[in-house]
Amino acid sequence: MGIHDVTGESDAALIARVMAGEPDAYGGLVSRYRDRLGRYAVRMLGNAEDAEDALQEAFVRGYRSLARCTDPEKFGAWLFTILVNRCRTIGKQRARRQQLVIQDEAAVGRASVNHTEDRHALRETIERAMAQLSPTTREAFLLKHVEELSYDEAAGGGRACRNKVMD
Amino acid sequence: MPEQSDGLERAIRILKEPVQIDRELDQRVMAEIESVPVPGVWSRRFWTALDWLRRGRTVRVSPLGGLGFAAGIVILVLIARSWIAPQEPSAPVATEADGSTVQFVIVAPAAAQVSLVGDFNDWSSAATPMHRVDGNGVWEVTVPLDAGRYRYAFLVDGNTWLGDPSAPPALDDEFGRPGSVVTIGEL
Repeated sequence: MGIHDVTGESDAALIARVMAGEPDAYGGLVSRYRDRLGRYAVRMLGNAEDAEDALQEAFVRGYRSLARCTDPEKFGAWLFTILVNRCRTIGKQRARRQQLVIQDEAAVGRASVNHTEDRHALRETIERAMAQLSPTTREAFLLKHVEELSYDEAAGGGRACRNKVMD
Repeated sequence: MPEQSDGLERAIRILKEPVQIDRELDQRVMAEIESVPVPGVWSRRFWTALDWLRRGRTVRVSPLGGLGFAAGIVILVLIARSWIAPQEPSAPVATEADGSTVQFVIVAPAAAQVSLVGDFNDWSSAATPMHRVDGNGVWEVTVPLDAGRYRYAFLVDGNTWLGDPSAPPALDDEFGRPGSVVTIGEL
């Protein structure tokens, strides 16, 4: 299956194509949401490896359950909900492995910013502060202030899409 | 406070900076879903219909339409009641024969025995047996009663209590059994 450039094609149109028997069209949705969802996963889980695992699982689960997304206009929020749930699960598993939040320098290094010393120091301070938050508080903070989603959007993913199968 | 707020805004700005995710992730996702069946159109229709049913909605009807709808509901309820109502025994009747005797009648074709029980016979199942009067399962008994208010019921085959739908229900039965009330004379 290839990845298609789908610029300009709406989520609903892509979903309709998938439902019509064109699974490749899902690649357009993956590339459209990869970076935004990835940012949340990295900030939430603190390392690229776990974040990419969560992201991959979320995309695959989204595909499996695509029939349940009855309002394609809310696909983004719906997918976000799946990712939030995956991050919770992976976060719990990782907590057992006693890892700390944000230890992956590679993930930090990939951020496309100019690294002045002050900025780097501030980033580390923020990462330490984030690490001290409980997962629930960190999740709420990221969803509200960084992703700018209402809690309903993030937790419900839009009621037109059914999310019971996501964990 | 303004400094704290400024610091928070800076932190949020930094957290909002994009994070690049490995582009190969797309390929991995697509490779994994290759083995997953394409989501079914019928499955989607099922969930859409379920959501439609679950969603609240506002319905506007004209007064005439509302009246018609209400009449339709009443007709449906009446039809349903006629289906649900027990076929037998049916139509028990207590008839005041004269000033001092009352005839009680019940139609119970399948019953082997029927008794009239009430305040007037201390609810004894043996005191007032009813008699089958024809082949259609009509049972009757006539009881002399002084003026007063009496609670009563029909006991079918010794185990089924029936109130009399043609008489006022007795709401004060201590045991919660169905029963009716007959009032003789002026109280």
